[in-house]
Amino acid sequence: MSHLVKSPWIIHYDASSCNGCDIEVLACLTPMYDVERFGIVNTGNPKHADIFLITGSVNEQTRSVVKNIYEQMPEPKVVVAIGICASSGGIFRECYNVAGGVDKVIPVDVFVPGCAARPESIIDGVVQALGILEKRHAYQQSVENSIGQLIISQAEESDLPEIMSVQKTAYQSEAELYNDPSLPPLQQTLEQLREAFKTQILFKAVINGKVVGSIRGYTAEGTGHISRLSVHPYFQSKGIGKKLVSAIEARLTEAKRFEIFTWHKSSRNLELYGKLGYREFKTDQLNSAINRVYLEKAK
Amino acid sequence: MNETTVKLIALGLYLVLGPVLGCLLGGIDRKISARMQSRIGPPILQPWYDFRKLLLKENLVVRRSQNFYVFFYLLFMVFTGGLFFMGGDLLLVVFSLTLASIFMVLGAYKASSPYSFLGAERELLQIMAYEPMLLLVIVGLYMITGSFSVTDILAFDCTADTAKIHAPVILQGAGLFLGLIYILTIKLRKSPFDLSSSHHAHQELVRGLTTEFSGRAMAAIELAHWYETVLVLGLVYLFLGSCWWLAVPVVLLVFFLELVADNTCSRVKWQMAVKSSWIMAVIFGVGNVLVLQYWKPILQMFGK
Repeated sequence: MSHLVKSPWIIHYDASSCNGCDIEVLACLTPMYDVERFGIVNTGNPKHADIFLITGSVNEQTRSVVKNIYEQMPEPKVVVAIGICASSGGIFRECYNVAGGVDKVIPVDVFVPGCAARPESIIDGVVQALGILEKRHAYQQSVENSIGQLIISQAEESDLPEIMSVQKTAYQSEAELYNDPSLPPLQQTLEQLREAFKTQILFKAVINGKVVGSIRGYTAEGTGHISRLSVHPYFQSKGIGKKLVSAIEARLTEAKRFEIFTWHKSSRNLELYGKLGYREFKTDQLNSAINRVYLEKAK
Repeated sequence: MNETTVKLIALGLYLVLGPVLGCLLGGIDRKISARMQSRIGPPILQPWYDFRKLLLKENLVVRRSQNFYVFFYLLFMVFTGGLFFMGGDLLLVVFSLTLASIFMVLGAYKASSPYSFLGAERELLQIMAYEPMLLLVIVGLYMITGSFSVTDILAFDCTADTAKIHAPVILQGAGLFLGLIYILTIKLRKSPFDLSSSHHAHQELVRGLTTEFSGRAMAAIELAHWYETVLVLGLVYLFLGSCWWLAVPVVLLVFFLELVADNTCSRVKWQMAVKSSWIMAVIFGVGNVLVLQYWKPILQMFGK
């Protein structure tokens, strides 16, 4: 738990409330509820605030104010809509001058029901907002820390188009090497990849949110089959391939040995696999010009 | 241990323990204030949590250079305190303290928002209000002890010079002491003189000075204020420096009285703040200095 949760500073704005909810918000500060015991401070300054409490529906006059306050708050921040008017517009929903709930103008994280919302439920809403604040901070932190760093993780279905395009780019050099644009990795379609995704495990290498490499594998009868190692040309020779192979080896826990193949002229691949402990054990023909070289490694 | 080593140790202790003490005092302040308002109040370590949180927040600025001024505010505040706790020259302490405050004012001016601007002007008025009394305290201490050096002033009561009769600093400088306590309210940012930036009134105009600061810059301001609190309480300590077992409770009592004043007084207008501080400076500051200058016999009645 970071210190964010222990020191939530609040800014409260009345978008066009009847003052019912406002009074309840301020009641939270009184000796009866004393929210300051949780470190909550009611600031009047968006630049010091972490949590934005809004009461009342947003009308055309306050729309820009709500937006302005939200934009002036430093990240990470959360928004809590207090009372039914702030949540949906309430009984004023149909009014000609009312935009509706607060979520029509800015993103809202927590909705607190009630007319007027009770102090207990307001405090509950703020506590829930703290959880969101914490998550947001953790996400922000992870993005900040990952800048320029290589992250290897298991791929999800949404990654497949990106993986596909990297694969196509990566295998261009192979196609030139053999002067053959019909190599299977270059012929594979997104649909085929989606099919493969159902039975195989894919790993991706990500830098700054972009996929730069991938690998896939599956286990059959105690053998881990690893294939389609691809790394974008800009990021080759940086040890990414090695890390991808180790990652998938670690993931294929049931395998007692690993098998991998490449083509006979791909000396860089052969060298890489050699370094990783793979030894050649058989060859067969892909077509008249290209030989497939199989390599194996005991666990 | 020679003198330099002692001084360096004092400096080190101040740099590390200064903010710790300032932070704890801040926490105690909030707790006691809450109790006075029959609330439970935040944990004692709340200022520390706030500080850590501010470090995590985004630092929004109107102009980048405003953070530059805050940095120098912090730097000079640390320098001032360091000078004081190393037993340096009090005149220099007061001048660099003023310089630190001026950097804060410049930072607030730089942000050029109406609130920040107002805060800066009010801070200038406050500096104007407390400065004469502060200088008179220094002058008075010099007249009593014959030195501007903190080390000498602390040693004054202890010098067993029986040939020369002299009364303790606190008796000779009783007026100065009272005057100092009066302006301490301004320095600690307490009601009725929390015009430019208040500890407790968060929604009001009086947050002025810090309006445009967020994140790290705001954390730096908090940190500087912890150093400042310790420094000004150190000035109070100076009057009773010869016996720490009396001085420490007195300093804590003074701090408590400030809290009482904070919770019982409403904020005054700036005219009142300046006028009353100057009147205090004339009565207690100038008065005490005159006594020191012309009525030595009276003082000797207190003597050993």
